[in-house]
Amino acid sequence: MMGLGSIGFTAPWLLLALIALPILWLILRAVPPAPIRRRFPGVALLLGLGDDDTVTDRTPWWLLLLRLLAVAALIVGLAGPVLNSQERMTRSDTPILVIVDGSWAGAPGWQRARAAILGRLDVAVQLRRPVGLLNLSDPAPVTFQPAQRVAERLAAMEPNPWQPGPTMLNAARDQLQGLPEFDTVWLSDGLDYAGRGELLALAQERGTIQVLQGDTAVVGLRPATYEEGEVRLSAIRSDGAGATTMNILAQGRDPAGNPAVLERGEITFGAGDRVASLSLTLPDEIRDRVTHFSVDGTQSTGATTLVADSLRRVEVALIASQGDREALQLLSPLHYVGEALSGKVDLLDLSLNEALPANPDAVLLADVAILAPQEQEALQAWVEDGGMLIRFAGPRVAASDISRDTEDPLMPVRLRLGGRSVGGAMSWGEPKGLADFAEDSPFVGLDVPADVTVTAQVLAQPGPELSDRVIAQLTDGTPVVTRKPVGLGQVVLFHVTANAEWSNLPLSVLFIDMLERLMGVSDDNATVTATSGDTWQAVRVLDGTGSFAKADALAGVSDATMSAGEFGPAFPPGVYQRDRQTVSRNALEKDDTLEPATWPATVAVTGLDGPVQRPLGGPLLAAALVLLMADILASLALSGRLTGARAAAGLIALALMLPPLPAQAQDAEEEFALNATSDVVLAHVMTGNDTVDDIAQAGLRGLSDALFFRTSVEPAEPIGVNLETDELAFFPMLYWPITPEQPRPSAEAYAKLNEYLRSGGLILFDTRDADITSLSASSPNARKLQQLAAPLDVPRLEKVPNDHVLTRTFYLLQDFPGRHTGRDVWVEAAPPDVEAIEGMPFRNLNDNVTPVVIGSNDWAAAWAVNQSGAALLPIGRGFSGERQRELAYRFGINLVMHVLTGNYKSDQVHVPALLDRLGQ
Amino acid sequence: MNDPAHLRVSAEAEAAQFPPLLARAEHLAGSVLLGEHGRRRAGLGDNFWQYRPAQLGDSRRMIDHRRSARGDIEYVREREWQIAQSVMIWIDRGASMQFHSDDNLPTKGNRARLLGLALSILLVRGGERVGLTGTTLPPRRGNQQILRLAEYLATHDEADYAPPEHRAMIPSARAVFISDFLGPLDEVRLALSKAADRGVRGCMYQVLDPTEEAFPFKGRTIFESMGGTLSHETLKAGDLRDRYLERLAARKAELTELCALAGWQFSTHHTDHSAQAGLLWLYRAMGVSA
Repeated sequence: MMGLGSIGFTAPWLLLALIALPILWLILRAVPPAPIRRRFPGVALLLGLGDDDTVTDRTPWWLLLLRLLAVAALIVGLAGPVLNSQERMTRSDTPILVIVDGSWAGAPGWQRARAAILGRLDVAVQLRRPVGLLNLSDPAPVTFQPAQRVAERLAAMEPNPWQPGPTMLNAARDQLQGLPEFDTVWLSDGLDYAGRGELLALAQERGTIQVLQGDTAVVGLRPATYEEGEVRLSAIRSDGAGATTMNILAQGRDPAGNPAVLERGEITFGAGDRVASLSLTLPDEIRDRVTHFSVDGTQSTGATTLVADSLRRVEVALIASQGDREALQLLSPLHYVGEALSGKVDLLDLSLNEALPANPDAVLLADVAILAPQEQEALQAWVEDGGMLIRFAGPRVAASDISRDTEDPLMPVRLRLGGRSVGGAMSWGEPKGLADFAEDSPFVGLDVPADVTVTAQVLAQPGPELSDRVIAQLTDGTPVVTRKPVGLGQVVLFHVTANAEWSNLPLSVLFIDMLERLMGVSDDNATVTATSGDTWQAVRVLDGTGSFAKADALAGVSDATMSAGEFGPAFPPGVYQRDRQTVSRNALEKDDTLEPATWPATVAVTGLDGPVQRPLGGPLLAAALVLLMADILASLALSGRLTGARAAAGLIALALMLPPLPAQAQDAEEEFALNATSDVVLAHVMTGNDTVDDIAQAGLRGLSDALFFRTSVEPAEPIGVNLETDELAFFPMLYWPITPEQPRPSAEAYAKLNEYLRSGGLILFDTRDADITSLSASSPNARKLQQLAAPLDVPRLEKVPNDHVLTRTFYLLQDFPGRHTGRDVWVEAAPPDVEAIEGMPFRNLNDNVTPVVIGSNDWAAAWAVNQSGAALLPIGRGFSGERQRELAYRFGINLVMHVLTGNYKSDQVHVPALLDRLGQ
Repeated sequence: MNDPAHLRVSAEAEAAQFPPLLARAEHLAGSVLLGEHGRRRAGLGDNFWQYRPAQLGDSRRMIDHRRSARGDIEYVREREWQIAQSVMIWIDRGASMQFHSDDNLPTKGNRARLLGLALSILLVRGGERVGLTGTTLPPRRGNQQILRLAEYLATHDEADYAPPEHRAMIPSARAVFISDFLGPLDEVRLALSKAADRGVRGCMYQVLDPTEEAFPFKGRTIFESMGGTLSHETLKAGDLRDRYLERLAARKAELTELCALAGWQFSTHHTDHSAQAGLLWLYRAMGVSA
């Protein structure tokens, strides 16, 4: 390809023809326009009249210029000019390797980046160069394929929620080393990471390299912390550019369980700052519901930080035995416990009867032996519902008969009479220290200080189940903490006092850790030691764009993986749980910074928005045609043959060739309302993709026609609806085709949609890809559908049951095919307790219209007709295809009937009347 | 249009809209060939002829109130026609009259024939004697003459510009010349002077196509006469327009002047105007003393 500035030519030799232009000039100049012969009786009067000037016997210069321009445009157009042609990509046999960082950092600009790289691949297609693809975040063996194949793979690729880690980079390096010579196109996310330079050097050795990199800074959010009653957040960015302000959203579930933005705050980067922080004061109730924080408008894993339980405040009720109120404060059985827990949990200083209704996370009983029967009952019920009861022994417990002969339901073990004391003034032996914690103990991993000793304790009755219940013991093997599950909850007994009377355990750091472990107060970002073979289960994980992905398909993550901390397909950022412990693993850690990727001066770096290459041949040829038309008109005018009608025809032809002016937008709301309400009107949601919108419009037109011909519903021309600006309440039904690129509606639009759904509207979602997949999350359309529909007030769904009213509102149907014949169509689920009545062919199902119908059969394409009513797109093959189209129409008619008549056809009240009528 | 029967039908239709035309006889004695008064039919005269019921087209002033007052019917008193005038018509049948600029317009020849024949019908109905100039068809009365006229007019002359026929003019008769008068003027001048010599009065009616008045031509053009005998090439027809129009105006002015000298009337008719308008002018020109 030869280049001329930013314009290249695919067939530059054709330009030689331009040399012929001056010759053409001479020839055209010498030949005047041919005369026209006219019969004219008045010639007698003309005899003897001479011409004033004789210049016009040559073609006028402007006509010559016009013709030369036309010919020049023709020649240049045929030479195949390409604007912004990629000069770097030249015709050669060397394969091209596309290296993609593929991390979350590129997620916000992923569509653009993908478009840019696909643009390069277009050139590769033209040049027939084989292309390989290497995703550094998920390296797979590189194979060089035709560029179209790689383009398909790229189109399906999504950014990963992690940065390329050492393992991945090693694999990538191995791949590169095994490859012969290649030219590299590197799509960088703009972030630096260890090992990038090494890969770069490798790529440079093999051939030329070109880097595509977006110019927007990468923004990330560090994990949230809770300090001094405030949630502390800090955002980081990869460049210290100008001052900017970002919105931070605290997201979670509202009381109804729907995802919602609970709080928003502004975070401001000063000019040059790369870190900015924000403190949010959230009411406890709100704070407990926060699941993650995110940067508004930046959809990436890094800009989303998950919180597990670190913001949740544990409520603990502290109950001591009655009396002793006037004792010294330091002797109070609850003093050390209170100190240990203060600042980490909310302490409820109430009586048991008052505390239980507040449903604390844990109840702590210090040396309480006897409970009133009513209290005993309430406490037991609470524990069985999942409460955590922590009891401490003490003189009263030791002296009482509690759990002596039979095991008390609220005691983990039976106690021996009196307890024991060791190492005291009146006893033999040394005070006993604590033994290391066993593997299955919740305290595993805690360091046992050597100076923790126990001088007195209550003793457990030996029994078969005792060893299972011991979670901490002394060096001599006597239990010091025991635990037993009760119902959903558990009861833990410290065999020592809660104050320093029997042991100095309450004075030690260990005590605090033990209580925290027990009560599930955990540091989200706690380091996990690779101690056991325990696995962590993902609760929720993030995808590259910072949205929640499916977590239940992930296998458990082992301690070792967790502690290594390298994310990967098996261990994406997310919230993980083990027993009662929940930790969050975010893409960015506490002290992470974002370093922008820098490239050596020898490497060409272009922006993503780099000029798109644009073939100019078409417009030039069109221009040549227009010029030739103008030439015809001008020649006619010159030779006097241009009569009024011819001029009009010529002008019309010229006008037709010019691009049509954009039609003026009708923004009159009133007119819209009138159009929408004067007849029944079907509507579709404008997706912004012209092709899809046109098909939807044509499809609804076809369906409207079918309704008009076959039923008493006589709809007017369908309307495309802009969710942001148009009123929805006018339409019985919205057809919403899903495209991966369509923008998310605003909050107001969602409010309008929810209102629409609640007031009886129906939205038919169509992912249009049943030929690829059946509504699983693996297609971009289905993923987009999930994102779009998440804020909608959609009830529980089920596949259309055989007796759903949709199967018989007008036609009797079993399948609902469109252009595809996927079987899965989802509607609002029937109430679980509905049974078919004996003798009736169907159940008496929902009493209203299903608010959504979700499918992927591309119905609009099957319905689509052109203005003259002929089918627009081919469906299936031959007659069976036409049958399929007919069934698609029937589905559409049934659907509209369902919307308009509700459950009329499933209303059992009318069955006798209907049967009666059938009998006639 | 060249079919005589068709031409006559059209002409009758045009003529039907006018009341009978009575050419005014100025020189009564010289023109009356039958030599006698009293034509035994209604007409312009002094003697009572008959009462007849008033018809559509009779003006109110013609009603005889003395007779009408005796009954319910209004009567018109008719007098015996006593004189007849000879009218000689010349219609240009040259090739230049075959021109029409647009398919929707009649050729000049057609329009001229139509006007001439319609005028003849009116005259014949009025009892006048109508014929052609020259010796081909001397003036006669009656419907037969109309047929003969129509038949004759259907033929063409091959010459580009036919000169007016001025032979065998009846003294003191009336004459009508219908042509485009684009040919040599000398012939016209000769014909007019001969007519004036014999005391013939009349009118000259010029029939032109609208393009001949507008000259809407541009560009390099070769103009040819209808017969192809004359041609003129120009490279810029648009530039000729003004000079052409000047010449046309000069010719009209000259014709007008000639007519005025000979006591004739002159006017121009365009084929894109209605034939009625043309006939009306001819009717008035023949009815009014020139």
